[in-house]
Amino acid sequence: MDFWSSFITNLLEGIVNTLKILSISIPFSIALGFLLGFIKLYSNRILALLAEAITALFRGLPAIVTLMIIFFGLADFKIYLSPFWAATLGFILCGSSYISEYVKGAIRSIDVGQSEAAKALGMNKMQEQLYIILPQTIRRALPGVSNEITYMIQYSSLSFIVGVKDIFSVAITFNSLYFYSIEIFICVALIYLLLIAIANIIFRVIEIKLRYPK
Amino acid sequence: MNRDIILRAVDLHKRYGDVVALDGVSISVRKRETKVIIGPNGSGKTTLLKCLNMLIKPDKGRIWLGDEEITNPKINIYKVREKIGFVFQEFNLFHHLTVLKNVMIGLLKVKKMERDLAYEKAVNALSIVGIDRSLYDKYPAQLSSGQKQRVAIARALAMDPIIMLYDEPTSALDPQFANEVLQVIKDLAVKGVTSIIVTHHIDFALEVADEILVMYRGRVVESGAPKNLLSSPKYSITKNILMSGIALSNGLNHGFLE
Amino acid sequence: MGDLNAYITLLNYIPYILEGAKWSLVLTFGGLGIGFIIGLPVGVASVYGGRYTRLLLNIYIWIFRSTPLIVLLFLFYWGIFPTIGYKVSPLVTSILVLGLRSGAYQTEIFRGCIESIDEGQILAAYAIGMSSIQTFTNILIPQVLRISIPGWSNEYAGLLKDTAICFILGIQEVLTRAKIISMAIGIALLPYFIAGAILMILSYLGIKVLDIFYRRWSVPGLIKEI
Repeated sequence: MDFWSSFITNLLEGIVNTLKILSISIPFSIALGFLLGFIKLYSNRILALLAEAITALFRGLPAIVTLMIIFFGLADFKIYLSPFWAATLGFILCGSSYISEYVKGAIRSIDVGQSEAAKALGMNKMQEQLYIILPQTIRRALPGVSNEITYMIQYSSLSFIVGVKDIFSVAITFNSLYFYSIEIFICVALIYLLLIAIANIIFRVIEIKLRYPK
Repeated sequence: MNRDIILRAVDLHKRYGDVVALDGVSISVRKRETKVIIGPNGSGKTTLLKCLNMLIKPDKGRIWLGDEEITNPKINIYKVREKIGFVFQEFNLFHHLTVLKNVMIGLLKVKKMERDLAYEKAVNALSIVGIDRSLYDKYPAQLSSGQKQRVAIARALAMDPIIMLYDEPTSALDPQFANEVLQVIKDLAVKGVTSIIVTHHIDFALEVADEILVMYRGRVVESGAPKNLLSSPKYSITKNILMSGIALSNGLNHGFLE
Repeated sequence: MGDLNAYITLLNYIPYILEGAKWSLVLTFGGLGIGFIIGLPVGVASVYGGRYTRLLLNIYIWIFRSTPLIVLLFLFYWGIFPTIGYKVSPLVTSILVLGLRSGAYQTEIFRGCIESIDEGQILAAYAIGMSSIQTFTNILIPQVLRISIPGWSNEYAGLLKDTAICFILGIQEVLTRAKIISMAIGIALLPYFIAGAILMILSYLGIKVLDIFYRRWSVPGLIKEI
């Protein structure tokens, strides 16, 4: 079947591109999200406010608008990002903003006694955050982070807007050429479902490994 | 015998909004002394103790650890805290670390000790408080409350502090474990560890203290050696507290320790 | 950066973009409405239903929560509706898809709220002789509706943002209009940002309104603050 072989080949290319974007956006979102979360709670007023403002902006704007502003908007200022990097940057900004809120909530849920005990031993702020707060935050923020990663995988489908040859762009192209609409989009839906299922399994495994024995 | 003053606090004041927690409290402790602070809830005992290692900053007043004035903003408070051992009412063991790691982490990260030396010191501290090797790899959630508090004491001890502060160490314990913890604290005091203990256990106070301080509404209303307080308490509050403690233990017909 | 004329033109067309907000809201409330009609019953069924019911419902939830919105939009518009033989307008398709998706999310919200209701409430209702249905309508639902407002607030905000994605089907909401203007006058940053800002403001206002309802209807002690 000419359609299928061509479709699948292109789909694979789309999957690779999507995975390339995700493999950079996801780790950076998590890292930046944690950094921002800690900044919001532990640094001075000005930095904390700045972090709050930036994350509020990127949580308030729809992801698609963010992407379009980065790709098309920056072009106004003669800044031309490649589709790949525009999409990646957009996802990192959105993802890290949401994750920073989960991290903030996780830190707040740690009882204040842990902090006091760290101080009582003579730890300074850096040591307290690094050795006592951070390890516990990671465990507590895990459900939220996992949730956000699920969203990121879903919204990665928007990267076609800025010209990335991702899974969805392949689907649209083939949709305009062939009459296999249902097959095309069900296939694509299944791929995303599979990616999300894999991500969920990975996070479940991480969660189990990090549990304290009761 | 002219013993050095390890810790001295003068005229401490602290208020939270309308509530006065400390209203001019002074305390001093010499080397090898054991001071016990008693008083009703809300009298400022915990606030006082947490001021002594500057976990709480007093509004007014000064504190000296040895020759250093620790209320001086220029001082490196982290170095000061290394020398003060603090045991919390709610233990506050680090949830994500094993028993052994809990005791070692201060040595490794704050004192920057070598791993082998830190391990030795940790094992030493844990054996002093009676925690068996089999528990070293357990997490706090797997221990009884008495074990948790003893590990907490070991964690503080391992840092080789020059004074130990105990904030109601048995209040959060299941009653059957109170004795094992009090015994550990008593043993340490007898060995000469300078200590300030806040407690509700009156008979423990009478047995262990060189001096008892009675706090009420943010002030030290009375202080003195146990036998003096017993024979001639100046205030009715002292009498009430002491009598209630003694009545309890008389009812049980023996001292608090087997 | 584009010439000054472009910006002046933009100023003139801001009302045009603003008008799109009407459609954004139509999409949002349409989606929320359908989502509610689906979400509450399905939420109840997922807690009290039988094994197979719950399994089927979980599959529905899983599919509509995990598939990207844009894929669903195209699937229905280009795939399902033509196959069934109906010619459905982009607007109706969007509302339907948003509704089905919101239904899946709202099911989760209501399910969580139902499960968080103290079992004692239900036992007490039975004890005074209420039937299941009476317990349901008089005791369970009033509490669930109150508790679910915060989660629902989130859903409102999320859905509002998702309506921007519907621009792909050509609906005349804010992003579509912003894009048209942008292509006409040659600058992109500000038009898109304005579209985004409109949505942000609508989102903020909606959350505030819901918050007022939450407080108005709140009964002391009902909500156990975390």
